[in-house]
Order: sequence, then structure tokens, then C-alpha cells
Amino acid sequence: MEFTLKFKDLNEKREIPNDDYTIKDLLNELELSAQTVVSKQNGELVIEDTVIQEDDEIQLVQIIYGG
Amino acid sequence: MQCSQCGNSKVIYKREQSGQLLCKDCFIESIEKKAIKTVRKEKLLDKGDKVLVALSGGKDSVTTLEILNSFREMNVIDLCAVTVDEGIANYRQDGVDIAKRHAERLGIEHKVVSLKEDYGITLDEIMQRPNHKGSCTYCGVFRRTIINKAAREMGATKIATGHNLDDEVQGIMMNYLEGNTDNLTKLGAKTESQAEEFTVKIKPLREIPEREIGLYVVAKELEVHFDSCPYAMQSFRGEVSEVINQLAEKHPTIKYSTLRGYDKIKGVLKKEMQKEYAHGRCKRCGEPSANDLCKACSFLEELGV
Repeated sequence: MEFTLKFKDLNEKREIPNDDYTIKDLLNELELSAQTVVSKQNGELVIEDTVIQEDDEIQLVQIIYGG
Repeated sequence: MQCSQCGNSKVIYKREQSGQLLCKDCFIESIEKKAIKTVRKEKLLDKGDKVLVALSGGKDSVTTLEILNSFREMNVIDLCAVTVDEGIANYRQDGVDIAKRHAERLGIEHKVVSLKEDYGITLDEIMQRPNHKGSCTYCGVFRRTIINKAAREMGATKIATGHNLDDEVQGIMMNYLEGNTDNLTKLGAKTESQAEEFTVKIKPLREIPEREIGLYVVAKELEVHFDSCPYAMQSFRGEVSEVINQLAEKHPTIKYSTLRGYDKIKGVLKKEMQKEYAHGRCKRCGEPSANDLCKACSFLEELGV
């Protein structure tokens, strides 16, 4: 089971490791703070508790930078 | 999971401080209502004001423009904008272009002022000098002077900046931790200078967290420049911000309570701590200044420009 991750220049297929794999889990893996990005699932804004489904396109938009 | 306001199942935001869940439309409405409430509560606008928005093309200034435009559409105020081009290669031009497109979209008067044209030097050139004082020092002073001049030239009665809740709380804590009581008296929703030539500054977004402004522009599909300034470095502001954000994870209302606490003591602080400045003119440029040279001109002299 795979999903597509789009983040900055990144556009890649990734494995869904378990059934309850959420965007929050993905952010933790990428070491990104939920405070600095917003998430889209198949083009629609969603909260980080959203479970990632097979063939989803997950786009992360960084909205806060350090400076 | 449903929107706490309208029951829509497509929730885009959970407010940690209240547990409130919001769909896209209700979230957008909540941000606009909050800013409008700040404008009314703090009496930031008077009918007939011409407000100059300091428009960088980033999320905060574009949101400020968008919200103030609703007052313009109701014929309460007139709106104009200024964008400062500091001369930072591979960074600033995108913001300038976005700012121009927003001004065109809304049909408002807009001016782009560059450091190079006004002062004969870019920030990139300053940063190549061996004894520079750090990019933010120059950028802050030159930008403030340029925006003040633009306000006078464009006949603006107020200057609106995009300071959000995080910016305000960082400012309060930084100045407190540094013991800078004079600067502490200058924060707040509306800042009036002792010199008449300095236009009143207003901050309509000061009660909205930075993250909510970021989500607002994405939800509203507003074009903004999301990027980091190449000169952004580990500053004291950055350190203070990190501590506050760490605290906010366990105590989600802490930014609001810091702001409320400051607002309660501001009156006393101003009365007891505000310094009186000499009202003179800069010998070099004629801008108001407490000393022979204003800060911008003293930097230019040091740089030999």
C-alpha cells in the first residue's frame, strides 16, 4: 500500500506502514512540526489526525520559516 | 468529526486552546471576524482614514491587506501599499511581484521603494562589508524610515503592519528579558510616536497566531511568498520564539495570556517608563530625529555611502 508525498521539490511514493498511519505520524517521521506546515489530502486541507489511505496524494505546505 | 460551528464533516483545523473544530468556510470567517474585532476593540481605524499597508508579499502582510480591504469595500477607509525592496538576490523579487499582483487585483495605489534607489546600496552589498552590524539591524531601520516616508508622500493617516500574535508575544518577552522598558512601552495594537511626522502604526492581526494566518492564506488560496530570508539567522528573537512555542505545546493559551497581561500593564508602563525624546531633525536627510543624525543616516555615514 502506497501514497504519494509532495513537499517542496519532493514528489515520491511512500509505503503506508500500518492501518492507522496518520499525517501526524508522517510529520514525525519527517521531523516536521505540525505548527509549521499545513496538510492537504488529495488537494483538500485536512487536520493532522487524518488517516492516510492507499493512493492518497499528501501535500505538505510549509507556512512558517525560521526567519 | 464535525465542524463545531456548522456541522460540516470536512474539518481543516482544530484549535488546541479551545478544542474547537472548524471547516474551511468557518475557519476563514473566524479569522476575519477576529481581526475585525481587534480593529473595533482597539479603535484602529477612523472613518476616512487612508491606510498604508506595509506589503512584503508574505502571508502576514497579504492577510492584513485582505482584511483591511473589507473596510475599504464598505467605504470606511481608503487603502494603499508600499513594498520595500531591500536588495536581496534570489529572494525579494518574488515577494515584490506578488505584492504588485495583489495591489493590481484590488486596484489600490502601490509603490515599490528600493534601498538601492533611496540609499545607493543594497542589503547584499552592506553584508559584504567586513564590519557590518548584522542584516536585521540595517533592514529594520531602513525599512522603517522608507515606510514612514512613503506614508507621508502617499497622504496616509495610518500604517498597517502584519504583526501576528507570535510576533507580539516575542516582542513582549524579548524586551522584558532584556530589561528594555522603553521599548516595552512602544508595543501594542496602536503605536503613536511623539513626533508628528511619524504616522500612527496599527496591527490588526496581533491576536491571531502565526499558524492560523498561514492556514488562512492557503485556505483562501491567496498568492503569498512562503520563503525564508537568506539572512535569517539564530537571533535572540528565534531563541525566545522557540521557548514560547515549547511552552505553548503544554499550555496552549500561554500566548494569549502573555498578550492580555501586557495589555493590562501597558498604561502603567507608559506612564512610568516612557522616555521623552528631543524633537529635532536629522542634519543629513531632514527626517525627525532625537540626535544630529537619524539612525538610517548614521548607518549610511558608517558605511561611507
